[in-house]
Amino acid sequence: VRAIRLICWCVCGLALGAAVGLGAVAAAGSVASGSGPPDRDAARIIDVGHLPPLLRAPGEAATLRFNVFCPAPGDEPCHAGGDVFVRAGVVGPFRTIPLRRTDDVADGRYDAVVPPEIAAAPEGFSYYAVLRNEATGVSVTVPSAGAAAPQLSLPLEHAVRVDLGAHRFGSTRHADARVVEAPWGSAPGRAGLQHGPTFGPIGPAAFGVAANGDVAVLDQVNARVERWHAGRHAADVPVGVTGGIADMALEADGAMDVLEPTGEGGTPELRSFSPSGALRSKTPIADRTWSQLREGPQGPEVQQEPSEQWLPATSRRRSLSRPAQASSGHPGRTLPKGRELVVYRAGISEARIAEVAGTHVLRAWRIVSATPLGEVQLAEPVGNRIVLVVRPYTDTEDEFLVLVLGDRGVERSFSVASADWAETAPLARFRLAGTSLYQLGSTPTGMHVDRFDLEVNR
Amino acid sequence: MSLLRRLLRPRIVFLTAFLVALSLAAAKAALATFVSANCNYNAPTPSSNMYRDGSVTVALVARYEGYHWGGGCWNDNDVDEGPNEPLQTSSTGGEGGDCSGLTFKVWRESLNTGDGGHYQWGRLRNVHGPYTAADFKAGVGAPNATYPKASAIVMDAFASSTHIGMIYQPLTSGADQIVEAKCESCGTNIFTRTYRSDSSYGGVRRMGWTG
Repeated sequence: VRAIRLICWCVCGLALGAAVGLGAVAAAGSVASGSGPPDRDAARIIDVGHLPPLLRAPGEAATLRFNVFCPAPGDEPCHAGGDVFVRAGVVGPFRTIPLRRTDDVADGRYDAVVPPEIAAAPEGFSYYAVLRNEATGVSVTVPSAGAAAPQLSLPLEHAVRVDLGAHRFGSTRHADARVVEAPWGSAPGRAGLQHGPTFGPIGPAAFGVAANGDVAVLDQVNARVERWHAGRHAADVPVGVTGGIADMALEADGAMDVLEPTGEGGTPELRSFSPSGALRSKTPIADRTWSQLREGPQGPEVQQEPSEQWLPATSRRRSLSRPAQASSGHPGRTLPKGRELVVYRAGISEARIAEVAGTHVLRAWRIVSATPLGEVQLAEPVGNRIVLVVRPYTDTEDEFLVLVLGDRGVERSFSVASADWAETAPLARFRLAGTSLYQLGSTPTGMHVDRFDLEVNR
Repeated sequence: MSLLRRLLRPRIVFLTAFLVALSLAAAKAALATFVSANCNYNAPTPSSNMYRDGSVTVALVARYEGYHWGGGCWNDNDVDEGPNEPLQTSSTGGEGGDCSGLTFKVWRESLNTGDGGHYQWGRLRNVHGPYTAADFKAGVGAPNATYPKASAIVMDAFASSTHIGMIYQPLTSGADQIVEAKCESCGTNIFTRTYRSDSSYGGVRRMGWTG
């Protein structure tokens, strides 16, 4: 009887001890797992994939295609519906076109055919779409400001056609100068490198060039901006960045804008720093994702997705709210005098470039190639010309092709080696300052910035 | 003998058992990981259909849930419950997939590399799958094949020897939106990338889509 009683006491002690132990640890919040908030309702998920036909060639059908992503039983395609609101030009009422479901998921399972009389308007057409999960009623609008800043699609009636033929890999031009050269590392004059088993290598994510040719390199791995002058490391400016792959733009006074991949909220954010590295502001961007950051005449602009528009992030150095950004969206990068430069990499091997004022195409180029063209890394005016950097590629080779476009076509062109051993922000490998093109490159031993003089007049 | 009798008093036995259980439970709880506390090893559910846009939604659930090297288990609360893990170790049991683990689950593949069928894995099913990024790049396994990059569409992938990401949406710039588990500090998310034109990346297609 005594032994049974002792066993009972022992079992009770073990049970109570285990319960108290687990309870105490859980209460103290030191349980690494399961301490987060509960799962969110999956029905909230809705997103859109849409490639806006920013610049249409003569005779092209004006069909707007969308993929709608939302949960459905058995992971079937989203049971979606919605409407596209379209009008000729940029004023007047929109006409409503219900979305139609198709089997073409490659370009977008849902489509809307723009009526011919609207598609044929010489001033193009503007549109936005409201897409719904029919099962839950959750919806998404693209571009995000809807009627306040619809997407614009312009006809290219008189574009200068440039036929590149097949790209010849291996005939690259040497740089006129190497203005930055830094081995990997963390000491002054070196550049940080991230490399893991399933990612990387990732080097400095972006850079900027001042009007005098001084270079600022975003060394996010070491949380600093490296300033280089006349080919020599001049200073390091500590900056409070996340360390993620960010884009960067320099303002005229030396202030630095860094576009982070993440933010304190659910979207990425733009961090603005004084020339000495003091944080001036954090501005969450309007959309879920960005492609690139550039300095516009009025301040930093961010190309954002899914809107696929350029949105101003600030106004007179003050952060814009997300709705204010979205309601100022436009299809091209802002140029001086109210103009925009619209870029549309069409199909597999064509790049369309247009300088526009409002809905009026001032001049345009259609660059076609027998070799697939990747991303347009840079499109920027120099004087009355446009400098374009695009990337021809095959499954095994790639280079950058620099084109100086004039009113009659290509005035100058040359290829440069990719020099892309380490990853950067997606569209941050080239910058233009004065009449020189700068390239951020890397090798297994370090990073560099090369200068290519374009030999054109501004 | 008298010492033993003294130690076997009910109060002493109870107290000793209590303290032993308390310390063991506390230690086990404190050492618990996201995976050990939340994830399961259930069998997958075979499915006859597999749609590209349906699989995108699987990836969207993993979005914001973090990155874990060698991992493949996540919930859907938009919080990485295993942040700042040391690199190159899976033993910390954190939340999220790595790049190839995410791709394996989103592409609904089998642990049997000779099986090209479709298998739904629950988000809390801890599974990485048999493929590395380099395997995917080489088209290893019945469900996977190399594919021309220029023709790659939504839910095809670009893979290098160290990384793989799936196409979410091509962009007007010629870059692509990619859904990927990129790295510990990047997490799992949608990013703009230029993998398509980067010759260190090859195109990969999951075979057998319904549409």
